[in-house]
Amino acid sequence: MKILVTGATGYVGHSLALTLAQQGNHVHILVRNIKSSFIPQHPNIHVFAGDITKKETISIAMQGCEKVFHTAALVQHYASNPSIFYEINVEGTRNVLDAALQFGVQKFIFTSTCGVIGTSLHEPMNETDPRITGFDSDYDLSKFLAEKIVIEYSKKGLPAVIVSASKVFGPGIETHPISVNSTIKRFIEGKLTFCPGNPHFISNYVFIDDLVNGHILAMEKGTSGEKYILGGESLSYAEFFQAIRSISGTRGILLPIPKSIVRLYGYWHVVQSKLLGKEPVFSAKSVKQIYCNKSFSSSKAINELGYSITPFVKALQPTIQFLNSYLCITPAIQ
Amino acid sequence: MITGASEGFGKALAIECARRKMNLILVALPGPELYSLTNFIKRNYLVDVMIIEKDLCKDEGCMEVYNEITALNVEVNILINNAGIGSTAFFEEGTINFYEKQIKLNVLATTIITRLFLEMLKRNKHSYILNVGSMASFFYLPKKQVYGATKSFIYSFSKSLRKELRKDKVHVTVLCPGGMNTNLRLTLMNKTGSWISRLSVMNPEEVVPIAIDGLLKRKEVIIPGRLNKFFMFLDTVLPEAIKKIITGHGMKKLNANNSYSRYLSPEPVMIPVSRGILPNLLISYSAIKLLL
Repeated sequence: MKILVTGATGYVGHSLALTLAQQGNHVHILVRNIKSSFIPQHPNIHVFAGDITKKETISIAMQGCEKVFHTAALVQHYASNPSIFYEINVEGTRNVLDAALQFGVQKFIFTSTCGVIGTSLHEPMNETDPRITGFDSDYDLSKFLAEKIVIEYSKKGLPAVIVSASKVFGPGIETHPISVNSTIKRFIEGKLTFCPGNPHFISNYVFIDDLVNGHILAMEKGTSGEKYILGGESLSYAEFFQAIRSISGTRGILLPIPKSIVRLYGYWHVVQSKLLGKEPVFSAKSVKQIYCNKSFSSSKAINELGYSITPFVKALQPTIQFLNSYLCITPAIQ
Repeated sequence: MITGASEGFGKALAIECARRKMNLILVALPGPELYSLTNFIKRNYLVDVMIIEKDLCKDEGCMEVYNEITALNVEVNILINNAGIGSTAFFEEGTINFYEKQIKLNVLATTIITRLFLEMLKRNKHSYILNVGSMASFFYLPKKQVYGATKSFIYSFSKSLRKELRKDKVHVTVLCPGGMNTNLRLTLMNKTGSWISRLSVMNPEEVVPIAIDGLLKRKEVIIPGRLNKFFMFLDTVLPEAIKKIITGHGMKKLNANNSYSRYLSPEPVMIPVSRGILPNLLISYSAIKLLL
């Protein structure tokens, strides 16, 4: 079967494309730079140069594909010009959907984020829960807008499914400067690792293998126009670091930092970026996203797709092994 | 009891009240949002939540709400008149139908609901009424003619009623928020504003604790946000002539300047929201600029 994967030089898309190729599918990937070191290498993977913001390049890559996984997105906390989130994540998604509808693609999976669902209170959030906070992150807002367009196209007759990933970790390429992997890595290297002043905030962590598997299950069984949370275990920051410590035996020191200080640091980042013309990795507003609960329930995916969650501790073992083997290499920051 | 509770500011009010262990009666237009909100609140807080699906724009809507509640023998001791329709458009762009609906909901429904529940509120030792106005009630802004006037009504109505009801221990408060991200359209519009106006825009969840605190402290008028308070201060000190120039200048700034604006339709449409609060971005931007 021919399948198009966008975003194959990204963390999730890379793993997904490789898994699909290993399963014997012919995987078309659309990449901006065909010399990128992040291109997944496999005989079944066919590389097409292009960009989701350029319609004609999508059509060429999609030729003959029955299924489409759209994982490509601009994933970062902050951009001084938020328009780029819109151009890539919203308009780019519309372009891919448009081509898929024209080609009569059998099924379309859109990779979204639990950030669209937002923060939680005491209980884990599900797919229908109301969002309780405003959109502080332009990334989350752009994914929310993109989801609306996916639903729009599912009504136009393109079988399209949304899958929402929580915080992803596990072996894979490093494309994102602030990731769960980089935090784990820092901690197991024994470096000073900062954590939120309140260690009781809960987050949800999805293992990359589960997420990839969830994508494939959604392609097989997902109902068009529906959204499925693909998450993992919900853990407090204290539990998260404790689990890593017990498995890796790291002597890494945790430094709890109050919100106000991180916020100041965020402001400083933005000011610095304005002065140096460099993109800040995060802003004062993204701080809000760390100091809150983000607990999600994957029940719908478990019941309807047969999705399963690898226990966090079990998933940590290959992750730590992988990160350890990577210790001497500095993570590439794009 | 919260009217217009299914989305935007009303939704945030409902969650905040539940957090303070208040039992809720949520009144909103029929739709799935009200049910998912109720489900969410019940899962997270140990409070009772009652749903009344009614269109308060309809003549019999308010009466039906009252009848349903009295039939169930439920007492209301905090009434939050939040339902309203916002708009940002030139007067000639709006239809008569729209203005009629806006006035009915923003003015008439608040008046009728308050009147209907007055006896019930008086029966309780201490009762509270929170009317949701807007900073638009203080400024006479273009594109906000009818909306601003309905909010001015709410402001006068609340302040006057407060004096009347003091002896009955019914405490009336009017909330006058500035720009808020209450729905997608406003969120996007607020993102396209200048940086200073973006700074003054608040999320509903930031406003609600201030609103409920103020209500329980029996404040007369609540203006949430330091920046908004500052604008209000400017408004009282600046001479009328200067304000005129500012407002005129601010209008030109309304044009959105980044691509999020593409998501907003090119023609000015009236989007009904449960609480459409005027972002007074124009004034805020220019007023600050004047000071600099």
